[in-house]
Amino acid sequence: MKLSKMTRLAVFGATVAALAFGAVTPAQAATTTVTIWSYGNVIEPWAITEYQRLHPDIRISVKKNTLDAHHQSLITAFRANTTPDVAAIEVSYSGFFKAYPRYFSDMSGLLNQSDYLDWRWNQGVATGGKLIGLPTDVGGLQVAYRTDLFRAHGLPTSRAAVSALWSSGWSAFINTGKTYVSHLSTAEKTSCRVKKVCYGFIDNAGTMYPAILNQGSKKYYETNGSLIYDTNASVRTAFTTTATAMTSGISTRINQFTSDWNAGMTKGIFAVVLAPAWMLDYIKQQAGSTRGKWDIASLPGGGGNLGGSQLSVPAAAKHAVAAKAFVKWYLSPAIQLQIFKRYGLFPSAKSLYTQSALTGYKDTFFSSAPVGQIYVTGVQRLRPIYEGKNQRAIDNYFGQSLAKVALGKMTASQAWSDALSNIRHNITN
Amino acid sequence: MSQATVEQVKPVPPGRSPNVFKTTTPQQRKLRKQRKQSEDAGIRALNAKWGYLFIAPFFVMFLIFGLAPVIYSIFIAFFNWDPLADTQEWYGLKNFELLLTDDQFWVALRNTFSIWFFSTFPQLLMALGLAAILKNRFLKGSTFWRTMLLVPNITAVLAIAIVFGQLFGRDFGLVNLVLSWFGVTQHIDWVAHPLTSHIAIATMITWRWLGYNTLICLAAMLSIPQYLYESADLDGASKWQQFRYVTMPQMKNTIVFVLIVATIGGLQVFAEPLILGGNMSGGDSRQFSTLTLFLYEQAFVNNRWGYAAAIGILITVIVLIVSGINFLITRRIASEDN
Repeated sequence: MKLSKMTRLAVFGATVAALAFGAVTPAQAATTTVTIWSYGNVIEPWAITEYQRLHPDIRISVKKNTLDAHHQSLITAFRANTTPDVAAIEVSYSGFFKAYPRYFSDMSGLLNQSDYLDWRWNQGVATGGKLIGLPTDVGGLQVAYRTDLFRAHGLPTSRAAVSALWSSGWSAFINTGKTYVSHLSTAEKTSCRVKKVCYGFIDNAGTMYPAILNQGSKKYYETNGSLIYDTNASVRTAFTTTATAMTSGISTRINQFTSDWNAGMTKGIFAVVLAPAWMLDYIKQQAGSTRGKWDIASLPGGGGNLGGSQLSVPAAAKHAVAAKAFVKWYLSPAIQLQIFKRYGLFPSAKSLYTQSALTGYKDTFFSSAPVGQIYVTGVQRLRPIYEGKNQRAIDNYFGQSLAKVALGKMTASQAWSDALSNIRHNITN
Repeated sequence: MSQATVEQVKPVPPGRSPNVFKTTTPQQRKLRKQRKQSEDAGIRALNAKWGYLFIAPFFVMFLIFGLAPVIYSIFIAFFNWDPLADTQEWYGLKNFELLLTDDQFWVALRNTFSIWFFSTFPQLLMALGLAAILKNRFLKGSTFWRTMLLVPNITAVLAIAIVFGQLFGRDFGLVNLVLSWFGVTQHIDWVAHPLTSHIAIATMITWRWLGYNTLICLAAMLSIPQYLYESADLDGASKWQQFRYVTMPQMKNTIVFVLIVATIGGLQVFAEPLILGGNMSGGDSRQFSTLTLFLYEQAFVNNRWGYAAAIGILITVIVLIVSGINFLITRRIASEDN
């Protein structure tokens, strides 16, 4: 008796549910769900809401992961044909994916190439010329420095004068650092020698290596994909210059994004950080008490960049047309401008670089420096560089050998041959 | 009170069985036998029929997620395997040749065993000590303490690694601050050097697993018959002598069990060095790169799946060797008991 009552109730419930869902079904049947695999803040939430508002028949579903895990699951997804409709790919990984254009849809014709930075656009061109990805934001790279510490250590403070200090290049930058550390107090100088806090000019000289390397026209690969890491003079120059900086006593050797780094920023353990645009927000959050003591000068040796991603549509995407429509909309100059205004990510669309929203952008935290103007100038000075298949792994090996120089375990030339032998052992193409 | 008297208080030799996992008493065995005899033959027939269905969930999962990948990785170890390429280049034994001449592999092997050493033995001593304290009848709120001991074990490795990464900071880390109160005024750059980074990682592992191992030791201690202690008391043995000559010999098997589990875990240390270093290379100069981290780096940073598979096979061989040594030691201990 009790059971049958329950059954009746269940049947009634099911009927109601069926009716309710039935009423909605016609509308739902028309919607297409575009799946996006992403990491970090490549796809901003505002854009999703906005796009769904403009296109009621489209639903955007974003799955986020950490940087490395994201790209690793992409590789397996490609292998198993279970790809998302849109995939975000970071610059350091794009070299790898570019070696396999057949896994990607052709993205040409969606956007107007002349609207975008050449070198950013080229990061999406695969081996053989197929366009497999379109550029999102651009990181840029400039020098964030502490004006109060510069004044106290015998250096000028205005951004024009500071930029002029090292306008001749990286060796001038290292010499500026030497001047700075020569003005450290006796207590601060001995502190590092007796293995206490190491005061220095720059947080970590290791950050100079990618900065210098990106200023060249080639890195580890020729455009045809052959390896030139051992013969390319600009790799050697970047390596040697960084090693020189490491042994000249200007670096605190603190690793970025550690608790020591956060504390060092607040306590003035170092005065200079090579900062992409997205790092400025991090500095503001971590070292809030230093508001107004920072300023931004231009990077020695020309323009600079660190990071950036592209959006791709895999060949196996189920809703390729809808996916491309979203990518076209999201990366269009108009939306990039919106994203910059809302989230502070710098657009890769150079057609926006005359907009007053960008050129007029100042930040009181950094002594009202014209942040927009400085970064816009920097990213326009870079040239396209071919990013090869094992770019990231080769970067790691050079970085490891440089770390040995920083710790005093090797001389620059020993470290150079150490890196070459490691790469030769591990990288075949 | 001589040692000999205490030795005599050992009428029932413990752990007669050579198998650590078999901890039945003669009474239990007898009971089981009786039950078996009275068991309905019909049920046994049913078991034979339906048993496979009930064990199927595990074995099907194992087949898909355990055995199949193992066979696949043995297969690709003989290729220069590129995850996205159309054709794969046959390598034969070249991956293994390369591996044995690869400095990075030997560094990872050395690091793994060093971390294992620093995380296992101090932890075992502490677990024994803590268990002895918790066993004390006069300890107030013993359930509370026992529960609290397990809390680190349910903390996510990621969280532990992040917090400890901050504790072991060079300039503003808490560990260096505390050390400075005891006269160590030099800032130790924990992460930068092999030995110090191994100690830092071993500390994380110890913090996480100490409670678990303490409870295992405690369970073993509580199962030691009380009359052994009463006899020892009568013979005038001190607390320390009771620990040394009653508790320790009774716990041999448990200690071996703890060691085996710690060894298996020690050869798989992965998350701690990964978070501490922030990338797959295990520190700026690979000073805390472990075997599993090295495997992962080769597969997913260098995209050498064949080479990574070869590393996996070599790790298996190493585990087999270590297990073999463990087995021999266990057998020897068991035969000593007899």
